[in-house]
Amino acid sequence: MSTKKTMTLNLTDPEMGALEKLSAARDMSKTAVIRQALRMYQLIDSRLSKGEKLFFEDGLTKEKKEVVVL
Amino acid sequence: MTTRCKVAILHKATQQYVDAELIDGVTADEVNAAEAAWRPVLDEELKRMANESVPANRRPEHAHWDWRHKCEVTEGLLVYQMLGIEHDSKMQGLMLVQTAGVFCRLPNQKDKGLVYVMFIATAPWNSPVVVANPRFGQVGTVLIAAATQISLDLGFNGRVGLHSLPQSEDWYEKDMTDVGIDLKKNLRYFEMTPEQANNFIR
Repeated sequence: MSTKKTMTLNLTDPEMGALEKLSAARDMSKTAVIRQALRMYQLIDSRLSKGEKLFFEDGLTKEKKEVVVL
Repeated sequence: MTTRCKVAILHKATQQYVDAELIDGVTADEVNAAEAAWRPVLDEELKRMANESVPANRRPEHAHWDWRHKCEVTEGLLVYQMLGIEHDSKMQGLMLVQTAGVFCRLPNQKDKGLVYVMFIATAPWNSPVVVANPRFGQVGTVLIAAATQISLDLGFNGRVGLHSLPQSEDWYEKDMTDVGIDLKKNLRYFEMTPEQANNFIR
């Protein structure tokens, strides 16, 4: 596996709260959540840069809503 | 970035383990070389099977997989990792995994992250479905162990999920939990829990 580098991350209280909540819900460390988020963000950014759009679909109504990624 | 580490696979004829390299981050050149080596063997065996009227369920189900294309569309994206096992300068197996955005389906693991094995295949000369006397064994085992290791590294506690082709279901049944047929893919879905992962890589 690849070697890892360490960095310090400065988060606001709400950001830390969200991270802690995700960490508990997904049974993952906070570092693991951040690494997941980076993977997903890179994937979404790559697809959007190719002109694709990101949608969420309602499981019941099948209604689609575009997600605007800044 | 590519990393390599030493692993062992089984030389079937002598029943001796031989050194091989597990490649994490298989390059496009390596995939091209693998396809160039695998394709003629597969095509020849498929032709033989057609001539001998071998039933469809005894022909390799993944013969149409195009690893070059899979590499092309996933290269450079952290969410995908392609791994391979090399021995004797030949690729003995390949696996593509997704490392984010996939979650467990087992009720007692529900919504926890896992490593999803998108595609896994041994070289045609190692597959009992393709040849009568496979050269190397344990290739799939080493690749699944690598998926488990990635899962541990990413904080998923060894959780791994995959959809199995019908010919491989018996193999996954031994070490993973059968979650049932996924109607969306019409394939049986298996998951490895942290406990099963612990037993698998022990």
